[in-house]
Amino acid sequence: MTKIRIDGRRGEGGGQILRSSLALAAATGTPFEITNIRGGRKRPGLLRQHLTAVRAAAAVCGARIEGDEIGSSGVKFEPGEVRAGEYEFSVGTAGSAMLVLQTVLPPLLRAAGPSELRLGGGTHNPSAPAFEFLARTFAPMVGRMGGELALELVRPGFYPAGGGEVNVRIVPAVDPRPLVLEERGPEGRHVVEIGAAHLPAGIADREWKAVQRVLHWSPDARVDVDFSESRGPGNVLTIVLAHEHVTEVVTGFGAKGVPAERVARRAAGVAKRYLAARAPVGMHLADQLLVPMALLAGGHFDALPPSLHTTTNVDVVRMFLGDVVESEDLGRGDVRFSVRGRV
Amino acid sequence: MVKPKILLGLLGQAVDGGLDESRWERWRPTVSLFQQEDLVIDRLELLVQRSEHRLAKVIEEDISALSPETEIRRHQVHFDDPWDFAEVYAVLRDFADGLAFDAEREDYLVHITTGTHVAQICMFLLTETRHLPARLVQTAPPRRKRKPDPGQYAIIDLDLSRYDQLAARFAAEREGTISFLKAGIETRSATFNERIDEIERVAIRSTAPILLTGPTGVGKTRLAHRIYELRRRQHLVAGGFVEVNCATLRGDQAMSALFGHERGAFTGALERREGLLRTADGGLLFLDEVGELGLDEQAMLLRALEEGTFLPLGSDAPASSSFQLICGTNRNLAERVRDGEFREDLLARIDLWTFPLPALRERLEDVEPNLEYELERYARDTGRRVTFNREARARFLDFATAPTSTWKANFRDFSAALTRMATLAPGGRINAEVVTAEAERLRGQWSDLERSRGSDAIVEEVLGDRAAELDRFDRVQLAEVLHQCRGARSMSAAGRELFAQSRARKKSKNDADRLAKYLARFGLTWTDVRE
Repeated sequence: MTKIRIDGRRGEGGGQILRSSLALAAATGTPFEITNIRGGRKRPGLLRQHLTAVRAAAAVCGARIEGDEIGSSGVKFEPGEVRAGEYEFSVGTAGSAMLVLQTVLPPLLRAAGPSELRLGGGTHNPSAPAFEFLARTFAPMVGRMGGELALELVRPGFYPAGGGEVNVRIVPAVDPRPLVLEERGPEGRHVVEIGAAHLPAGIADREWKAVQRVLHWSPDARVDVDFSESRGPGNVLTIVLAHEHVTEVVTGFGAKGVPAERVARRAAGVAKRYLAARAPVGMHLADQLLVPMALLAGGHFDALPPSLHTTTNVDVVRMFLGDVVESEDLGRGDVRFSVRGRV
Repeated sequence: MVKPKILLGLLGQAVDGGLDESRWERWRPTVSLFQQEDLVIDRLELLVQRSEHRLAKVIEEDISALSPETEIRRHQVHFDDPWDFAEVYAVLRDFADGLAFDAEREDYLVHITTGTHVAQICMFLLTETRHLPARLVQTAPPRRKRKPDPGQYAIIDLDLSRYDQLAARFAAEREGTISFLKAGIETRSATFNERIDEIERVAIRSTAPILLTGPTGVGKTRLAHRIYELRRRQHLVAGGFVEVNCATLRGDQAMSALFGHERGAFTGALERREGLLRTADGGLLFLDEVGELGLDEQAMLLRALEEGTFLPLGSDAPASSSFQLICGTNRNLAERVRDGEFREDLLARIDLWTFPLPALRERLEDVEPNLEYELERYARDTGRRVTFNREARARFLDFATAPTSTWKANFRDFSAALTRMATLAPGGRINAEVVTAEAERLRGQWSDLERSRGSDAIVEEVLGDRAAELDRFDRVQLAEVLHQCRGARSMSAAGRELFAQSRARKKSKNDADRLAKYLARFGLTWTDVRE
């Protein structure tokens, strides 16, 4: 089989291109070699979280790997057969366990049987999809593609303490269906979930008030979440925007030195903009959908203006599967992505 | 494959402290090393004071969550007084001695940011003296407080000579970046500099014998002495530096000088003598011109190297000595082995690390730095500072780098030349006349040497076996011609020199042609001669 060569400086130039390549290589059995990993960054080469992704991808498909070392600028990956089963992956330095899931999910959706994962590390990281996003927004989409993705938060993990735990069940798509998502459908019940672990009291109240000033929701939209299981301090505000066909999740992350009000106001602003727009698929969901759709039965969806992560994914999908993604400008920056599936 | 990284460190009672969740708000040095995105530590050897169990448990759990791949081993230590230097040193030294290090397979880091200042100093000393075969790692809090950031870390390898400044603050500032082995001479020759770096690495990492080769006067003795000084600073050698030129040892005297003798071992042996090997016990022995050593002495030296013991002359009881060895030679020892004059097994013992040192002519770019160095040295030795005037300096550098300046005895000649010029310099200023006189002197010296060595060796070199067929009459003449050819820039230049008189008298046209014809009589061409 011809090996695919990837220059890690392409597109977004960080870990995304590596993770998408790993997922596609493992799912399709295509070997690849990536060079200049994170070439444009201040600390180039593989960091710990990327190393975990490489090894996790190798584990689920019995791949032979070279260059899996900290600081390595190149990795060779020769996948074997995808094996369903029970896996445990832990990410050091409170890095996102959700990104590991993003790497191993596509191949496991094409395995011969269901898999159970125990993931350790960060569950709520500012620069990665949060647990709630995957559970509420993304998992139903996997269901609509014919597979099943179920996530259970055992213990949240925040920066800097980490130590989060998530159980995941993946059932492959036996009979994959195309995903079609053009409309949001009627609005359901929107809520704001606020959790603050090991932090001074009053943060949740302050955040709720700040959200209310932007969104003007009634008090019963507030849900307090118990994060006391967490090893370290952490604060997350999750705005759940429910619609019949799609549930969008906006996450605000509290951080040391950032006032609670600002965290809440920012998230509420993002939610307000989503509600004012038309397309059903937000920027982060678009990132997640392309790879599984291309591997399963394809379909099309309308998305809000795509991010560099999304265009990087389109790029990588093309390298592995050919010209299977088409995009059509819908005006106002919205884009319709049409994906030809493999099955 | 990258070696697993092992971190050794003390649990910092205060800096690593904090039992409730607010501990995450602060920077904790030990934990911070496990939050680095570009560092994986495979094992932590954590030294914990007896009273700090609770804290140790919290820290270990935090580290396990942050770095699931790290194995943690806790070592209990106890200091009655953590500020008592002797006690802390003893406890840490015991700890170091008790660990089974395997530096071939594992990569050790010693964390020096935690513990009392006394403990930090002791950790540093144990690393510097290689009781802990490790590199140091130092952590520092984040620069910007607001951004989530585990702070910085830096790994310091004391083996690198730039850290010698730590050990030798007295060294002049400018020497800081120059290898210690260069004795403060800022050499420019890339080959030489690479060679020196290589020697430095070997000299520090290994105490196996080193063989320095190269023509006479390239500085073998000086380098051996610098290697010794370097090791002494690094605590790799405790005893003295013992130097002997094997060419000066003959007969019984050789045996006894090296290995000692009992009283009455031979005529004239009135007193017992220790011998140089015993003197070098715990130190470093430099055997210069080792190729001149007799076969008996070679056998005994081999035994001393292999077993650490040898027999003094006239003694039945073996003496022992543990010494580091550096040998020097300007001979081709492999050739000596072939001729049966040097033991093959001894050569195998001493040539593990062989470093050929280039002749002065092969590193002409270093003439100028050495010139500065020699003037400094002269000033230090005599208390008299001497300088070149500009013209004299240019003239001397021209002379020194000219192809005809052979520098037969290399830096020995060079050093002597500088000493003579400095001594003769009127008013502490070396002028053009002094340089011209010295240049004359050196040229004379070199050509005398050439002649006395039986300059017709060159005939054999060029003609090979056919040289034996020549009459003495032709041989001498041909030798002179060949020397002239070698020293000249071109065939015409050689011809002009050789036929200068006839040229002056009858304005002869083609000296080169005449020379070519002469060479052809011996079946030689210009190219043959120039090889």
